[in-house]
Amino acid sequence: MLNKIWFSSVAFIALLSASINVVASDDVNVYSYRQPFLVKPLFDEFTKETGIKVNVVFAKKGMAERLDREGEYSPADILLTTDISRLIELKDKGLLQAATSAELATAIPTQFKASDDTWYALTTRVRNIYSAKRLGKIDFNYEDLADKKWQGKICTRSGKHPYNVALVASMIAEHGEADTLTWLEKVKANLARKPQGSDRAQVQAIHQKLCDVSLGNSYYFGNMLNDDKQKVWADAVYINFPNQSNRGAHVNISGMAMAKHAPNKANALALMNFLVSEPAQKMYAETNMEYPVRPGVKPSKLVATWGEFKADDLSLEVIAKHRKTALILLDKAQFDL
Amino acid sequence: MTPVVVMLFGSLNASSDLFSHLWATVLPEYIRNTLLLGILVAALSFCFGVPAAAIISQTNIVMGKQLRWLLMLPLAMPAYLVAYLYTDLFDYAGPVQRSLRAWFDWQSPNDYYFFDIRTIGGAAVVIALVLFPYVYMLTRTAFEQQDRNLLRASRLLGCTERQSFYKIALPLARPAIAVALALVVMETLADFATVQYFAVNTLTTAIYDTWLGYSDFAAANALASVLMLFILFAVVAEQRARAGQRHQSSRPNSNQALKQLSLGQQIIASIFCWSLVFAGFLLPVILLLSMAFEYADYAQLLTLLDTGENSIEIATYSATIATLIALVLGLFQRLHQSKARTLPVQISGFGYAIPGTVLAMAMLATFGPLDHAINDFAKMLGFSAPGLILSGTVFAIIFAFVVRFSAIANGTISAGIGQIPKSLDFAPASLGVKTLPAIFRVHLPLLKSSILVAWLLVFVEAMKELPAVLLLRPFNFETLSTQIYQLISDERLEQGALGAILIVLFGLLPIIFLNRQKDNK
Amino acid sequence: MKPLINIENLAVELQAKLILSDVSLSLGKGEILGLVGPSGCGKTTLLNTLAGFIEQSSGSIEISSGEQVKKITLDTMLPAEQRNIGMIFQDYALFPHLSVSENICFGLKNIAKAEQSARCEELLSLLELSELSARYPHELSGGQQQRVAIARALAPQPSLLLLDEPFSNIDARLRHELMIEIRQLLKRLGMTAIFVTHNKDEVFTFADKIAVMNQGKVLQVGEPAQVCQQPNSWQVADFLQLGCWLPVTLLNETENLKVTSLIGQTTGDTLITAVGDNTTVENHTDSALNLQLLVKPNDLELSEQAENNVIIEHISVTQQGYHYLLSSIEQNNALAFKQLSFYSQNLYVLGTELAIKLSGQHFLLYPTGPIIKANN
Repeated sequence: MLNKIWFSSVAFIALLSASINVVASDDVNVYSYRQPFLVKPLFDEFTKETGIKVNVVFAKKGMAERLDREGEYSPADILLTTDISRLIELKDKGLLQAATSAELATAIPTQFKASDDTWYALTTRVRNIYSAKRLGKIDFNYEDLADKKWQGKICTRSGKHPYNVALVASMIAEHGEADTLTWLEKVKANLARKPQGSDRAQVQAIHQKLCDVSLGNSYYFGNMLNDDKQKVWADAVYINFPNQSNRGAHVNISGMAMAKHAPNKANALALMNFLVSEPAQKMYAETNMEYPVRPGVKPSKLVATWGEFKADDLSLEVIAKHRKTALILLDKAQFDL
Repeated sequence: MTPVVVMLFGSLNASSDLFSHLWATVLPEYIRNTLLLGILVAALSFCFGVPAAAIISQTNIVMGKQLRWLLMLPLAMPAYLVAYLYTDLFDYAGPVQRSLRAWFDWQSPNDYYFFDIRTIGGAAVVIALVLFPYVYMLTRTAFEQQDRNLLRASRLLGCTERQSFYKIALPLARPAIAVALALVVMETLADFATVQYFAVNTLTTAIYDTWLGYSDFAAANALASVLMLFILFAVVAEQRARAGQRHQSSRPNSNQALKQLSLGQQIIASIFCWSLVFAGFLLPVILLLSMAFEYADYAQLLTLLDTGENSIEIATYSATIATLIALVLGLFQRLHQSKARTLPVQISGFGYAIPGTVLAMAMLATFGPLDHAINDFAKMLGFSAPGLILSGTVFAIIFAFVVRFSAIANGTISAGIGQIPKSLDFAPASLGVKTLPAIFRVHLPLLKSSILVAWLLVFVEAMKELPAVLLLRPFNFETLSTQIYQLISDERLEQGALGAILIVLFGLLPIIFLNRQKDNK
Repeated sequence: MKPLINIENLAVELQAKLILSDVSLSLGKGEILGLVGPSGCGKTTLLNTLAGFIEQSSGSIEISSGEQVKKITLDTMLPAEQRNIGMIFQDYALFPHLSVSENICFGLKNIAKAEQSARCEELLSLLELSELSARYPHELSGGQQQRVAIARALAPQPSLLLLDEPFSNIDARLRHELMIEIRQLLKRLGMTAIFVTHNKDEVFTFADKIAVMNQGKVLQVGEPAQVCQQPNSWQVADFLQLGCWLPVTLLNETENLKVTSLIGQTTGDTLITAVGDNTTVENHTDSALNLQLLVKPNDLELSEQAENNVIIEHISVTQQGYHYLLSSIEQNNALAFKQLSFYSQNLYVLGTELAIKLSGQHFLLYPTGPIIKANN
């Protein structure tokens, strides 16, 4: 028994030291909100080009707290996020540092980066309105979702999901709090079912005629079309870019930032430069059917077939600013209940 | 224990503004849902587990020997996995309703009635299907250990078999049932991923909302504390209710004559037991197998085995440490009788009720500063900083697991210790053997099976546990559960089916072992 | 008078093993029967079969309750709860989750509430439990628990009370007193009872009738005095510890039955053969027959003429003087014996050799007995 205990303790310490050694100094460490399979091909390419190894931890919840608690000893160099509010949250907590390079400066248009260079967008995605093909082509505004004619015909995922919160925040920026709350209440009244599932599940529901209209990010359309099983779902809907006759469709970003206490700053900058390079941008956009932020880089052929669209040029920082209010309004409208 | 305290302290900074907002909008509904879900799951687990335990322990049901362990199998299924499979299966767009529509040529949801799986009721049924084995196992053991003379006495005093069951056997099994239900409720309330699939908003939702949405970690802590108070209250109330009663079992009910079921009863009992096994285990496994068959390939299996190794490693260490701690605490408590010492053990048991992610945050809050101190100290001495050796390594994960699952280990071990006659504490001393050697030579050998059971239960739970690993893991560290989670979160469970099957297989180990043990006795 | 309980040719088979066979007993109203026998003899099984916990494989049980007679055979089984039989278990089997009064009222659910509490009150005071009525079983002493068990069993007014080793958990000093107390109570209530014990002293204190069992059979039933005087088999005598066993051999004299042992001979007029007539024994004069004489301590006396034939192996002090266990000096003989009891007022030293002889007037001779192995 005692022998076993000793053996276990020794093995345990060995395991601990092994897991520390993983983080060597010529690597670059990434905390990612994005799933590894989306970014891994990019990192592999980067390692092939530069010889710098990329270590990744993926988590959706609590990344900011972890970074905060780790403070100056944090091993994190780069943060990858899927939503503007995360970037702003990290920035507000003082967990980011400005990163500049000629490459970054030229590659990313000003509306897609922080004014103080603490974060950069990598891709954009549109919050589309999907509608059943059986209804024919329709020009949507987000505001239309409150229309009584859609009663019992709208499907959406949880209102609290960051993508929906950002959309509500943009509505607040446009219409103010009171009108947005009314809009939310009316949309809620139009829902075919309680908010649930993912963006794809809503398209599936349209395909199954449970509802006619849903909210969803643009790239899911591409992903579904590329999936044998889900293609029938996507084939049942049109992807609509809302508010084309006025302010434009709501756009969110996926982005990157350098951690305040990044231990491998040079490598981190190299990775950032790589991620905004044309080939990487092309690759990144292709893997997940998103729109590259670097001007001149074309989206994938499939994405391009959905046509040109007008994006809302509302500042991303404004959207992030209204996030909390958006949550409060969602609670008030009891959107998810 | 420490993380619980850290959590409680953390909640002191909670802002009252946010609370009043939540209170005015969604919180009452969340609380109602939480209570409803807790009660429903408890009630359903009771309705599934207790009759199953009674049937298996007291009747001559056909294939009783097989059902005995088959009924434990659902424990091997991670709840989030079953939740995903079932919501997918019974959803409007799911295969069941699709085929029904195709079959009957229904066009829209208005054409027919089908239960909505994404409701509190649906969630409660599915969660209960996975968790009822706790109730089944503990109650069955309680029934089997009851003094058969008590039932005989009741028969002679004019009660029929059925009346005796309700008036004697069931009340006597109450402590076991209560403990099992407490475990079930704790696991239910702490589980966010599962209820999320059902679009059911509970207090746990509120915890995540306040923390991630409103970025108010203190308020999240406060809500988590409220959640724990709920459970504490329920447990204490139950204990109070049976104060004064003591249940000692003197004559295990070993060769009790089994009730002979009539054909009708036999059929009903069999249908009941087999549907539990089917719904809780077979159906999900079949679904997973068919997915794995369709999507898996050899290369994927290799990666899975790799990550499986990580899973096994952390599960092994967590199980070993949790068991050792439970053992030390249990024996210490036994050999130094005092009320005050039981308190820390009880409180640390509530770690099970803390949502995994919140616990992970508490871990960071506990070890973060410690790591800083270590690094600062190292720098002061002129060494290079060792890095985050506590919060940045698997240490944190294992520690979190130990905190979270110590309730299971403590329960099993202390039950085992309780069965050792008190006289054995003193006998070695009378033979001139000191306390410590006595523990090694007397208590540990006697506790062998309890130790193994505790170890295996923690091991399986650690294999399944997700949120804490997700947040605390070091770079490039994947476990089976994180891998499956990533795929599920991208709605690609098909590709994770193989991994899910591996988790289930590992979950089967303790069940097979527990069963073998029983047979050996 | 019609017997209250009549058992005929009862047999019980469990897992293809015959546990009870050919058991016949009957008991009048108000009688107390003590069922004794070595452990494993089937007495508890008999009790459980009467109670209805075990099904008989053949035979019948008749219980009269009031005017009604319930006949229980293989075809007309009656579940335990319909037999109107009360039982007191060895460990009392009090319901740990119920208080004293709830335990007592447990079997009273079929009568009106008011009557229930009246009956309960009555039993509480009868058994001096009134002050303990709100307590739980684990808060009571062993004796108190037993009184609760009795009150609980009596509450539904059973026609027959079964007691399974009821005194085994009671302090030896209190046991006798308690037995008398309970016997008086049962007599006062006119209760018919069967109780099981492996302690012969309990039978003599508690029972009106005794039944000795061995290996699933009832060997002898009768009043205690009668059974003591004429045990019908060596097992009965042995179990009741009526005396010691002295191996003897038959002297082949045609006229008179005569046996001889290492400590002398005795002739036919003092001999009572427990089995059959003399001829039976005579026909088996060969050595295969293991003849044993039942010798009571006062059947022995010191002999002055003869040479020493026994040696003192053990000495203990009793109220009847010194008690010696003697063994034959000659041990390589087929008639060698060990542990013959002998009382004397004189004190001898351990290992002293004595000469003793048979002096009693009545000896019981058994054709077989416990095999006493010669000392090697």
